[in-house]
Amino acid sequence: MSTSDEETEEQQAWRVLSEAGLVEIRLDEFAEKIEAVKRIVIVRLRELLDFNTGIKERESAAYSLGTLKGLELKVLANAPKPPDPSEM
Amino acid sequence: MKSTAKLLVSEANWPPEEGQAISFRSSSGSETTILKEVRWGLVWRDFILEDGRVIPEHRISGCPQPQVWRKINEVTDNEREECEERLLSMAGAGMDPRQRDQPFWAELNQYLAYTYLRYKQAECKVEDTER
Repeated sequence: MSTSDEETEEQQAWRVLSEAGLVEIRLDEFAEKIEAVKRIVIVRLRELLDFNTGIKERESAAYSLGTLKGLELKVLANAPKPPDPSEM
Repeated sequence: MKSTAKLLVSEANWPPEEGQAISFRSSSGSETTILKEVRWGLVWRDFILEDGRVIPEHRISGCPQPQVWRKINEVTDNEREECEERLLSMAGAGMDPRQRDQPFWAELNQYLAYTYLRYKQAECKVEDTER
């Protein structure tokens, strides 16, 4: 039986991404996954701001957050509309 | 008789070369087609087919296990920024990531995977140092 100590870096990355549903994102889950990744970036950005460290990483995280927000808006705007109940 | 497609590949000569026939899993089952290009994304290799579809390496038959993935710190700032610009440009052009195996779907998948791993790993390191 393998333990987490025996995992290679790639196996660990695969497991982390699989658990997060990010290896192959289901077509109806893009908005949800973008939101999940945004939350991770926000947590890290808060840490960097709290400790007032990592200026370069802070800038990079802020930029990534902006990118994710932009993508989220576009993906939501292009989302297929649910069927209108009045037409059913 | 000569064929334009070379023989199907095995683990011994991985990754396959341009022009080789490769088999992969698609939503409609197993398919075999001609490989146009192999390209590294931010995390894993993508296989670009002659018809423009982009298939992640783990779906290609014969892919060695475990796969080789890039380490997060191997990705340069420039590379990440170029990827972000391409994604915003594709989104701005009205492309939809909900088209499986298309370039926007493939690149957004990799960007989200990369960004998640990058900041998740940073979060784990902070937790470890606080213990």
